[in-house]
Amino acid sequence: MQKRLSELEFSESGTVRDIFASRHELNCLGVRVRKHLTMITRQPIKGPVVVAVDDMEVAMGLETARCVIVEVDRP
Amino acid sequence: MSISPSRRWELVDCIARRTVSAGACRPTLGGVLGELTVKPLTGIPTALAVLYAFWSVFGSFAGALVTDGFMVRIFDGYWLPWMQAVWPDPGSVHYFLFVGDPAAETCFEAFGMLTSGLFVSFGVVLPAILVFYLMMTLLEDSGYLPRLAVLMDTLLHKIGLHGYAIVPAILGLGCNVPAVTATRTLETRKQRFIMMTLLALFIPCGAQLGIMLQAVPDTVGWVLLYLLIGFVVFGFALSRVIPGSNPEILIDVPPYRWPQRTNVAKKLWNKTRGFLTNAVPFVMLGILIVNVLYLTGFIGWLADLAAPLFVTWFGVPKETVGPLLAAFLRKDLAVAQLSTIPMTPYQMITAVVLISIYFPCVATFAMMVREGPRQLLAAMGVLAVVVMIYGGLIHAVGILLGVA
Amino acid sequence: MAAHNHRYTILMMGNPNVGKSALFNRLTGANAVVSNYPGTTVDVTRGFLRKERLEYEIIDVPGAYSLEARDAAEEVAVRILGGHPDAVVMVVLDATRVERGLYLALEVMEHGNPLFVALNMIDAAREREVSVDVATLQEILGVPVVPTSAVRGEGMLDLVEAVHRAQPPDIAAIEARAFGEVKCPAGERPLSIAGTAGGVPE
Repeated sequence: MQKRLSELEFSESGTVRDIFASRHELNCLGVRVRKHLTMITRQPIKGPVVVAVDDMEVAMGLETARCVIVEVDRP
Repeated sequence: MSISPSRRWELVDCIARRTVSAGACRPTLGGVLGELTVKPLTGIPTALAVLYAFWSVFGSFAGALVTDGFMVRIFDGYWLPWMQAVWPDPGSVHYFLFVGDPAAETCFEAFGMLTSGLFVSFGVVLPAILVFYLMMTLLEDSGYLPRLAVLMDTLLHKIGLHGYAIVPAILGLGCNVPAVTATRTLETRKQRFIMMTLLALFIPCGAQLGIMLQAVPDTVGWVLLYLLIGFVVFGFALSRVIPGSNPEILIDVPPYRWPQRTNVAKKLWNKTRGFLTNAVPFVMLGILIVNVLYLTGFIGWLADLAAPLFVTWFGVPKETVGPLLAAFLRKDLAVAQLSTIPMTPYQMITAVVLISIYFPCVATFAMMVREGPRQLLAAMGVLAVVVMIYGGLIHAVGILLGVA
Repeated sequence: MAAHNHRYTILMMGNPNVGKSALFNRLTGANAVVSNYPGTTVDVTRGFLRKERLEYEIIDVPGAYSLEARDAAEEVAVRILGGHPDAVVMVVLDATRVERGLYLALEVMEHGNPLFVALNMIDAAREREVSVDVATLQEILGVPVVPTSAVRGEGMLDLVEAVHRAQPPDIAAIEARAFGEVKCPAGERPLSIAGTAGGVPE
């Protein structure tokens, strides 16, 4: 199942399929196509999300997270 | 020669795969804490607790323990009477400049270079900034600041900044000088401009906070509240008015690390040395200049000139002109001087807020010059407008509450 | 600014928060500010190291993820690299996150300055059981790679010595060496490393 990164639930994980915005910046922080990531937290009232990629944590705004498409892992 | 970004990424993957192998990933204390401090449910209470702890340690250790318990007794009990007794000619100019008021009972009132100057520098501000920087170093070195930035992003993004603006803001609570340079981590000119202007206006520095706790303790809460409201309101207004984009936060959140003892010691030493070589001479110079201006009658003349603005618009006594002049050199000195002027509590609150916002101190101003003349001019324009509006507004609130 | 006789100019470049300033302080005995958040250094800091009658001018460049500058601090980094065509570049990698630093490293390598690599935070990597094959990395890149720990002072002498072995990198050769021996079919391999960043079990 594919989801936007912004819709990933807490502790859900998945593999990045596509990135539609800020691709270069996200790539530089380790969020790249085919990377596996895990949702750490989503801040309330449209706040940023924090994800773990490899062994690193990255925080990004919600709009940016909407532009990242993730294939969700089956539990 | 150069290659395309996608080819470069392929190369990165290939090299990384051939050289790096990750070991078993065990849960670490740092990792667990890292998650707890960034999740809203646990992170926001933690952030509040951290800030509260920060403030109460600052107030109780620097203010109550060192300054009240020790420095005030030495300076007011021994040093001031001794200076007043030993220095010749109480009526002379040099007595006025070095010792100040011969009838003064506290080092705040005397306002001589060797009485108030030394007391403000070493009795109040030095212990305050030492404690402040010790705690700030722990925040910086542990890796807490990026997590605080994530938590603050929700709010700050709505006033045209992003969460990472919390870094210059917190550095600014120590000193605005490094904070102005730290605005460079913000991405767009708009974000940098808003942050620099808000820094100059609404972020009081550690030296000023220290002296406020000492000289005008009852007003501190109100002053901080007014500054915070000003920060949010004018941040929001500026983000609407200033053209440019406000990109979202996108940052690396580093793992927690233990602060290194040598690094903490080194930072504290650097701050202390900076204080001794840069701040203390400015405090002394400030007292000298203000005293000379008093003697020549310039301050009296300026006070009369500015009286309509000060009394009718801001609702503060015209004598506050003197401290406002001193505030350009050192804000701590200005607050110390202000505390000796008789006025109502609400006038004191207004006056302290005005001292904070009316102009950055000379050291901060010099840093702002480095960030570019156009930015500076625009910031000064905004500053003048904000001081007039906000100063009048605070007075109006006072009138409505029936206290001004 | 050109390098003088008997004098080397060394630019320290790398991602934010990989310990460039800590290394800089170790090497020069200077007092650059070191913290644990990205973007501590936003301005250029210079320091000197004198050893065996040679003088090294070391420049601590603000951290960047790429030479396509995103903020003002990264612009400073790009400007410094462009302004020092004769300088030796020390690329600083965080041994616990080598992959992230390699992109900038490759971009800098394309500039053609003589270059060597400091593989910093090697102690943290050991602690987290991340192992980096220094010999292979050195072989692929064709430039010296020195494991260091600024916190513990490991590898400082090797680092100074590596300045003299610094090589202008050859990207074509790096590509050939990297892709040459092992086929790297894109798309098949799982790129992730097991576990989450915080290390909390799922």
